[in-house]
Amino acid sequence: MSAAVDDDLWSAIGDPIRRTMIDLLLAGGPGTATSLSERLPVTRQAVSKHLAVLDRVGLVHATPAGRERHYQVDEAQLGRAVAQLSAVGATWDARLRRIKRIAEAIERNRTTDNQGE
Amino acid sequence: MELGSIERDIHVDASPEVVFEVISRPEHMREWWPDEARFEPVAGAAGELLWRDEQTGETMTVALAVVEADPPKRFSFRWCYTEPDRVGQSLLVTFDLTPAGAGTDIRMTETGFREMGWEIALLEEQYKDHVSGWDHYIPALGRYVARLAATS
Repeated sequence: MSAAVDDDLWSAIGDPIRRTMIDLLLAGGPGTATSLSERLPVTRQAVSKHLAVLDRVGLVHATPAGRERHYQVDEAQLGRAVAQLSAVGATWDARLRRIKRIAEAIERNRTTDNQGE
Repeated sequence: MELGSIERDIHVDASPEVVFEVISRPEHMREWWPDEARFEPVAGAAGELLWRDEQTGETMTVALAVVEADPPKRFSFRWCYTEPDRVGQSLLVTFDLTPAGAGTDIRMTETGFREMGWEIALLEEQYKDHVSGWDHYIPALGRYVARLAATS
Protein backbone atom coordinates (compact mmCIF):
# COMPACT_ATOMS: atom_id res chain seq x y z
CA MET A 1 0.00 0.00 0.00
CA SER A 2 3.05 2.22 0.14
CA ALA A 3 2.58 3.11 -3.52
CA ALA A 4 0.76 6.42 -3.48
CA VAL A 5 -2.07 6.35 -5.95
CA ASP A 6 -3.45 9.63 -7.15
CA ASP A 7 -7.17 8.90 -7.45
CA ASP A 8 -7.97 12.05 -9.42
CA LEU A 9 -5.28 11.33 -11.96
CA TRP A 10 -6.36 7.76 -12.37
CA SER A 11 -10.03 8.49 -12.70
CA ALA A 12 -9.25 11.23 -15.22
CA ILE A 13 -7.52 8.70 -17.43
CA GLY A 14 -10.03 5.98 -16.59
CA ASP A 15 -12.63 7.18 -19.07
CA PRO A 16 -12.37 5.60 -22.54
CA ILE A 17 -13.30 8.83 -24.34
CA ARG A 18 -10.67 10.74 -22.44
CA ARG A 19 -8.07 8.12 -23.23
CA THR A 20 -8.99 8.28 -26.90
CA MET A 21 -8.61 12.05 -26.71
CA ILE A 22 -5.13 11.68 -25.25
CA ASP A 23 -4.36 9.18 -27.97
CA LEU A 24 -5.51 11.60 -30.68
CA LEU A 25 -3.55 14.48 -29.16
CA LEU A 26 -0.40 12.37 -28.94
CA ALA A 27 -0.77 11.15 -32.51
CA GLY A 28 -1.84 14.38 -34.17
CA GLY A 29 -0.25 17.02 -31.99
CA PRO A 30 -2.14 19.85 -30.25
CA GLY A 31 -5.87 20.01 -30.94
CA THR A 32 -8.98 21.97 -30.04
CA ALA A 33 -12.33 20.84 -28.70
CA THR A 34 -13.67 21.30 -32.23
CA SER A 35 -10.96 19.29 -33.96
CA LEU A 36 -11.26 16.49 -31.41
CA SER A 37 -15.06 16.36 -31.57
CA GLU A 38 -14.84 15.82 -35.35
CA ARG A 39 -13.07 12.55 -34.69
CA LEU A 40 -15.12 11.38 -31.71
CA PRO A 41 -18.73 10.23 -31.34
CA VAL A 42 -19.46 13.00 -28.84
CA THR A 43 -20.38 16.68 -29.06
CA ARG A 44 -17.93 19.56 -28.88
CA GLN A 45 -19.46 20.48 -25.52
CA ALA A 46 -18.77 17.00 -24.16
CA VAL A 47 -15.21 17.14 -25.46
CA SER A 48 -14.74 20.49 -23.71
CA LYS A 49 -15.86 18.96 -20.42
CA HIS A 50 -13.50 16.02 -20.82
CA LEU A 51 -10.65 18.40 -21.67
CA ALA A 52 -11.40 20.35 -18.48
CA VAL A 53 -11.07 17.13 -16.44
CA LEU A 54 -7.76 16.30 -18.11
CA ASP A 55 -6.56 19.88 -17.63
CA ARG A 56 -7.42 19.82 -13.93
CA VAL A 57 -5.13 16.86 -13.26
CA GLY A 58 -2.39 18.23 -15.49
CA LEU A 59 -2.64 15.64 -18.25
CA VAL A 60 -3.17 18.35 -20.87
CA HIS A 61 -2.21 22.00 -21.08
CA ALA A 62 -4.16 24.66 -22.95
CA THR A 63 -2.85 27.59 -24.97
CA PRO A 64 -5.32 30.25 -26.15
CA ALA A 65 -5.62 30.36 -29.93
CA GLY A 66 -8.18 32.85 -31.18
CA ARG A 67 -11.60 31.87 -29.93
CA GLU A 68 -10.46 28.34 -29.15
CA ARG A 69 -7.84 26.76 -26.97
CA HIS A 70 -5.13 24.46 -28.22
CA TYR A 71 -4.63 21.45 -25.98
CA GLN A 72 -1.55 19.32 -25.80
CA VAL A 73 -0.66 16.31 -23.68
CA ASP A 74 1.69 16.68 -20.74
CA GLU A 75 3.64 13.52 -21.39
CA ALA A 76 5.51 13.71 -18.10
CA GLN A 77 2.24 13.66 -16.19
CA LEU A 78 1.00 10.81 -18.35
CA GLY A 79 4.19 8.90 -17.61
CA ARG A 80 3.60 9.55 -13.93
CA ALA A 81 0.14 7.99 -14.15
CA VAL A 82 1.54 4.89 -15.81
CA ALA A 83 4.41 4.68 -13.32
CA GLN A 84 1.90 4.70 -10.46
CA LEU A 85 0.08 1.75 -11.88
CA SER A 86 3.31 -0.10 -12.53
CA ALA A 87 4.13 0.49 -8.88
CA VAL A 88 0.89 -1.23 -7.86
CA GLY A 89 1.81 -4.28 -9.93
CA ALA A 90 5.37 -4.25 -8.65
CA THR A 91 4.25 -4.15 -5.02
CA TRP A 92 2.15 -7.29 -5.59
CA ASP A 93 5.18 -9.00 -7.11
CA ALA A 94 7.15 -8.20 -3.97
CA ARG A 95 4.34 -9.40 -1.67
CA LEU A 96 4.02 -12.68 -3.57
CA ARG A 97 7.76 -13.26 -3.38
CA ARG A 98 7.55 -12.82 0.39
CA ILE A 99 4.56 -15.21 0.59
CA LYS A 100 6.61 -17.77 -1.34
CA ARG A 101 9.62 -17.37 0.94
CA ILE A 102 7.57 -17.68 4.15
CA ALA A 103 5.51 -20.67 2.96
CA GLU A 104 8.57 -22.54 1.72
CA ALA A 105 10.39 -21.93 5.01
CA ILE A 106 7.40 -23.33 6.95
CA GLU A 107 7.23 -26.31 4.61
CA ARG A 108 10.93 -27.04 5.04
CA ASN A 109 10.66 -26.86 8.82
CA ARG A 110 7.68 -29.18 8.80
CA THR A 111 9.48 -31.71 6.63
CA THR A 112 12.54 -31.57 8.87
CA ASP A 113 10.38 -32.03 11.97
CA ASN A 114 8.67 -35.07 10.50
CA GLN A 115 11.98 -36.63 9.55
CA GLY A 116 13.27 -36.08 13.08
CA GLU A 117 10.43 -38.07 14.59
CA MET B 1 -7.11 -10.65 -19.52
CA GLU B 2 -9.90 -9.13 -17.54
CA LEU B 3 -10.42 -5.42 -17.77
CA GLY B 4 -9.34 -3.41 -14.81
CA SER B 5 -7.47 -6.11 -12.97
CA ILE B 6 -3.98 -7.11 -11.98
CA GLU B 7 -3.14 -10.81 -12.21
CA ARG B 8 -0.05 -12.51 -10.93
CA ASP B 9 0.94 -16.19 -10.85
CA ILE B 10 3.65 -17.70 -8.71
CA HIS B 11 4.66 -21.25 -7.85
CA VAL B 12 5.48 -22.08 -4.25
CA ASP B 13 7.27 -25.21 -3.07
CA ALA B 14 4.88 -25.71 -0.16
CA SER B 15 1.56 -27.51 0.20
CA PRO B 16 -1.70 -25.60 -0.43
CA GLU B 17 -2.48 -25.96 3.30
CA VAL B 18 0.70 -24.12 4.27
CA VAL B 19 0.24 -21.48 1.57
CA PHE B 20 -3.35 -20.92 2.65
CA GLU B 21 -2.22 -20.25 6.21
CA VAL B 22 0.43 -17.81 5.06
CA ILE B 23 -1.98 -15.75 2.94
CA SER B 24 -4.97 -15.86 5.30
CA ARG B 25 -3.64 -15.61 8.85
CA PRO B 26 -2.97 -12.12 10.23
CA GLU B 27 0.22 -13.21 12.01
CA HIS B 28 1.62 -14.38 8.67
CA MET B 29 0.17 -11.55 6.60
CA ARG B 30 2.05 -8.92 8.59
CA GLU B 31 5.27 -10.66 7.56
CA TRP B 32 4.54 -10.12 3.90
CA TRP B 33 2.41 -7.00 3.78
CA PRO B 34 1.16 -4.55 6.44
CA ASP B 35 2.89 -3.77 9.70
CA GLU B 36 -0.10 -5.19 11.47
CA ALA B 37 -3.22 -7.10 10.40
CA ARG B 38 -6.35 -7.55 12.49
CA PHE B 39 -9.05 -9.87 11.18
CA GLU B 40 -10.50 -13.32 11.58
CA PRO B 41 -9.86 -15.36 8.44
CA VAL B 42 -13.54 -16.28 8.03
CA ALA B 43 -16.04 -15.13 5.42
CA GLY B 44 -17.75 -11.89 6.35
CA ALA B 45 -15.25 -10.86 9.00
CA ALA B 46 -14.36 -7.17 9.18
CA GLY B 47 -10.84 -6.13 9.99
CA GLU B 48 -8.01 -3.68 9.48
CA LEU B 49 -4.59 -3.44 7.98
CA LEU B 50 -2.20 -1.00 9.63
CA TRP B 51 0.92 0.70 8.41
CA ARG B 52 3.19 2.79 10.60
CA ASP B 53 5.27 5.60 9.24
CA GLU B 54 8.50 5.33 11.22
CA GLN B 55 9.50 8.91 10.48
CA THR B 56 6.27 10.64 11.52
CA GLY B 57 5.04 7.98 13.93
CA GLU B 58 1.64 8.12 12.24
CA THR B 59 -0.44 5.01 11.71
CA MET B 60 -2.51 4.49 8.59
CA THR B 61 -5.45 2.15 9.02
CA VAL B 62 -7.14 0.58 6.01
CA ALA B 63 -10.45 -1.26 6.37
CA LEU B 64 -10.68 -4.79 5.09
CA ALA B 65 -13.47 -7.35 4.85
CA VAL B 66 -12.96 -11.07 4.29
CA VAL B 67 -15.14 -12.25 1.40
CA GLU B 68 -14.26 -15.93 1.09
CA ALA B 69 -12.17 -18.29 3.16
CA ASP B 70 -12.23 -21.76 1.63
CA PRO B 71 -9.11 -23.61 2.79
CA PRO B 72 -6.95 -24.63 1.10
CA LYS B 73 -8.33 -23.32 -2.18
CA ARG B 74 -9.38 -19.72 -2.04
CA PHE B 75 -9.02 -16.65 0.14
CA SER B 76 -10.42 -13.29 -0.89
CA PHE B 77 -10.97 -9.94 0.72
CA ARG B 78 -11.97 -6.37 -0.10
CA TRP B 79 -9.97 -3.29 0.80
CA CYS B 80 -9.46 0.33 -0.30
CA TYR B 81 -13.09 1.23 0.27
CA THR B 82 -14.10 4.63 -1.09
CA GLU B 83 -16.42 5.29 1.88
CA PRO B 84 -16.02 4.77 5.63
CA ASP B 85 -17.43 1.66 7.33
CA ARG B 86 -16.65 -0.61 4.40
CA VAL B 87 -19.18 0.80 1.98
CA GLY B 88 -18.78 2.23 -1.49
CA GLN B 89 -16.46 0.81 -4.08
CA SER B 90 -13.45 -1.27 -3.18
CA LEU B 91 -10.73 -3.48 -4.54
CA LEU B 92 -11.21 -7.25 -4.40
CA VAL B 93 -8.10 -9.38 -3.87
CA THR B 94 -8.46 -13.09 -4.56
CA PHE B 95 -5.90 -15.81 -4.02
CA ASP B 96 -6.67 -19.06 -5.84
CA LEU B 97 -4.51 -22.02 -4.84
CA THR B 98 -4.02 -25.06 -7.06
CA PRO B 99 -1.91 -28.10 -6.14
CA ALA B 100 1.04 -28.42 -8.54
CA GLY B 101 3.29 -31.40 -7.94
CA ALA B 102 4.44 -31.24 -4.34
CA GLY B 103 3.77 -27.51 -4.29
CA THR B 104 1.13 -24.91 -5.04
CA ASP B 105 0.37 -22.50 -7.82
CA ILE B 106 -0.96 -19.19 -6.53
CA ARG B 107 -2.99 -16.92 -8.75
CA MET B 108 -3.50 -13.47 -7.24
CA THR B 109 -6.11 -11.24 -8.82
CA GLU B 110 -6.87 -7.70 -7.78
CA THR B 111 -9.98 -6.30 -9.43
CA GLY B 112 -12.05 -3.20 -9.06
CA PHE B 113 -9.82 -0.72 -10.80
CA ARG B 114 -12.32 -0.29 -13.57
CA GLU B 115 -15.18 0.37 -11.19
CA MET B 116 -13.05 2.89 -9.36
CA GLY B 117 -12.18 4.61 -12.59
CA TRP B 118 -8.74 3.10 -12.53
CA GLU B 119 -8.97 1.71 -15.99
CA ILE B 120 -5.37 2.66 -16.50
CA ALA B 121 -4.81 -0.85 -15.16
CA LEU B 122 -5.75 -1.97 -18.61
CA LEU B 123 -3.30 0.47 -20.11
CA GLU B 124 -0.44 -0.95 -18.11
CA GLU B 125 -1.31 -4.51 -19.06
CA GLN B 126 -1.41 -3.59 -22.73
CA TYR B 127 1.81 -1.69 -22.40
CA LYS B 128 3.48 -4.70 -20.86
CA ASP B 129 2.03 -7.33 -23.15
CA HIS B 130 2.61 -5.37 -26.33
CA VAL B 131 -0.98 -5.94 -27.27
CA SER B 132 -1.84 -4.03 -30.41
CA GLY B 133 -3.95 -0.94 -30.19
CA TRP B 134 -2.67 2.14 -28.45
CA ASP B 135 -0.24 2.23 -31.33
CA HIS B 136 0.37 5.92 -30.97
CA TYR B 137 0.05 5.98 -27.25
CA ILE B 138 2.52 3.29 -26.35
CA PRO B 139 5.67 4.72 -27.94
CA ALA B 140 5.14 8.00 -26.12
CA LEU B 141 4.57 6.19 -22.85
CA GLY B 142 7.58 3.99 -23.42
CA ARG B 143 9.87 7.00 -23.72
CA TYR B 144 8.63 8.47 -20.48
CA VAL B 145 8.58 5.25 -18.52
CA ALA B 146 12.14 4.63 -19.66
CA ARG B 147 13.10 8.11 -18.54
CA LEU B 148 11.38 7.64 -15.17
CA ALA B 149 13.12 4.32 -14.72
CA ALA B 150 16.45 5.91 -15.56
CA THR B 151 16.02 8.68 -13.03
CA SER B 152 14.63 6.65 -10.16
